Amino acid sequence: MNWIDKLVEKHSRDVAQRTSRRGFFGKLAGVLTASAVALPLLPVARGGGHQAAMPKDTGDPTSCDYWRYCAIDGFLCSCCGGSQNSCPPGTQMSPITWIGTCLNPDDDTSYIISYNDCCGKSSCGACLCMREEGDRPLYRPQLSNDYNWCLGTDSQAYHCTVALVLGTALDK
Amino acid sequence: MKSDQLTRYFLILVFVLVPVTVSAELKPDRMGDVKTLPEQYPSQWILVHDVAFNHMFDGKTIVMDATADTIADQFKGMFNSSLVGQLAQGTVRPEIYVAETFYSRGTRGTRTDVLTIYDKSTLSPIDEVDLGNNSRALTLPLKYAVQLIDDEKLLLVYNFSPAMSVSVVDIRQRELLNVVALPGCAPIYPTGQRGFSALCGEGAIFTVQLDADGQVKSTVRSEAFFDVDADPLFAKPAIANGIGYFPSYAGDIVPIDLRDDKPIVGERWSMTDDETAGWRPGGVAIADADANGIIYMLMHPGGGDGSHSNPGLEVWAFDPVSKERLARHELKLPAISMALTRDTENPLLVVTNVEMQIDVYAAKSGEFLRTLADFGGETPLLLLGAK
Repeated sequence: MNWIDKLVEKHSRDVAQRTSRRGFFGKLAGVLTASAVALPLLPVARGGGHQAAMPKDTGDPTSCDYWRYCAIDGFLCSCCGGSQNSCPPGTQMSPITWIGTCLNPDDDTSYIISYNDCCGKSSCGACLCMREEGDRPLYRPQLSNDYNWCLGTDSQAYHCTVALVLGTALDK
Repeated sequence: MKSDQLTRYFLILVFVLVPVTVSAELKPDRMGDVKTLPEQYPSQWILVHDVAFNHMFDGKTIVMDATADTIADQFKGMFNSSLVGQLAQGTVRPEIYVAETFYSRGTRGTRTDVLTIYDKSTLSPIDEVDLGNNSRALTLPLKYAVQLIDDEKLLLVYNFSPAMSVSVVDIRQRELLNVVALPGCAPIYPTGQRGFSALCGEGAIFTVQLDADGQVKSTVRSEAFFDVDADPLFAKPAIANGIGYFPSYAGDIVPIDLRDDKPIVGERWSMTDDETAGWRPGGVAIADADANGIIYMLMHPGGGDGSHSNPGLEVWAFDPVSKERLARHELKLPAISMALTRDTENPLLVVTNVEMQIDVYAAKSGEFLRTLADFGGETPLLLLGAK
C-alpha cells in the first residue's frame, strides 16, 4: 500500500502545486518553517553572525519533497535507519551511482546529487519516493533510476537510497 | 392384504432410499492430483508479472484469464522469479524463459544468475542455463530485457554491470554461447532474421547480426536521430508487424522498421494536436500493440520534465500506418502499466491501476468490463498478453 499511497500522493501533490493556491501557501509555510529552524527568530540568537554565512540545507530528509530527491526512485534511507547521506546499519553503500541535478531552494544553487543505493538487505519498504526530474531511459544509465544500482557491492539486494551532494552544477 | 400392501410399500421405500443414502456419501479423493494448463494459452489470458517490490527475492508471475468473473476462473496458476526476474514466452516450444538471480544465503552469499525454463503446461521448472557472468540487468520489469530471435533458436539477455552487454543463449541446447558488448546502448529489440538492436546514449540505434553459433557477424551504428537531452525516446516501444513505434517523452512517435538486418528510422509524428497539447505518455509499461497492428499508449495530461512515470488517465489507440488516432479510452482509475491480449476479434486492454489491481476493458470500444482483484498481487508492474 505504501507504493500506491506515495504514487497517488506524489501525483496529486504535483497537480495541486501546479494548479491551486495550496501550492503557494504550502511552499510559503515550508520556507517559514525552514527559516525558523535555521534562523531562530529570537534577536539574541542572531548575534552569532557566522551561522548566516554557512550554506543552508533545510527541508525534511524523510519527505519525498526534500530538494535533494529531485531524481530519486526508491526507499529513502532517512526512513530506514540511515539518513540522506548515510546508509542504515549493516548495509553497504554502492560506489557506482546515477546522478541528478537538483536546485537547493535555500541558496538558489543547483547541485549534482549522487544517488547511492544501500545494499545487502531486502527492500526497506518505508518512504518510497519516485521523482523523475532529468531521469533518462536505460540507454543513458548515468541518468537512469530504473536500474538497481547495487553494483560493486557484495550483494545486489536493494535496501534504500541516499542522496549525496557531489558539488555545484555548472549552470543553474 | 392390507399388511401385504404395507410390506410391499415398505420394501419399495427401502429400495428407493438405500441407493440414495449410498450415493450421498463422498468418495475418498485421489491424493496427488495436480492440474495442468494448455500448451498454448487461450487468446484472452494474460501474464501478471509481480516484481514484489518490497521483497524482490519472492517475485512471481500469475497466469490469469481476463474474461473470467470469479477468482476461481481467473487464477490459472503462477511461477516464481527471484530478484526482479525478466521473462520471454515461447511459442515454438511450450516454454517460458525467466532470467533470475539467486544468492546462496538468501540476500547474501554467492550470486548465481540463471535462465530458468518453465513448462507452460505444468508451470514447473524443467531446465536452466547458468548465465555465467552474473551481470544481468536488474531493472524494473521490462518487455525487452529477455528476447527470443531466429525462430526461437537463440535467446538474448540484457546485462548491466554497469558495462552494457547481451548474453546469447542457444535455447534448444540450453547453452550460453556468447556475450556481446553493447557500447552505451540498451536493451534488446529483435531485428532481421538473427539480430537485435538497442537505443544508445547519443541518440542512435546500434544493431548486431549474429551467425547461427551466436557469434557477431556484423554491427552497424546509425547516426544520432533523436535528442536524448531535449526529448528522449522511451526504451519501451510498441512493436507491430516488425516495426517498433517508439514514443518520446513529449508525445511523438518515431517508427523504426526492424524487419531487415539494418533498421530503418521512419518519419517522426506527433500523437497530440491543438486539442490535446500537453498530453504525454507515462507510466511503467506504457505501450503495446494488439494482434491487428493497432498500437496503444498510456497517456496523462499536463506533462513536463519528470512526468514520464506519472500514471495514465487515458489509453489512446492509433493506426500507426495512417497515424490516425482511433480512440481515447478514459480509464476508471489511473494506471501505471498496460497490455493487450492477443485475441484478434475482441482484444482486451488490461491495465494495472494505482491500487495495484488489474482493470479489464474492451480494447475497441473502451468499455470497462471487470477488475481482477484479490489475486495475491502486490506490485504487478508488467502485464503481458499470454501466448
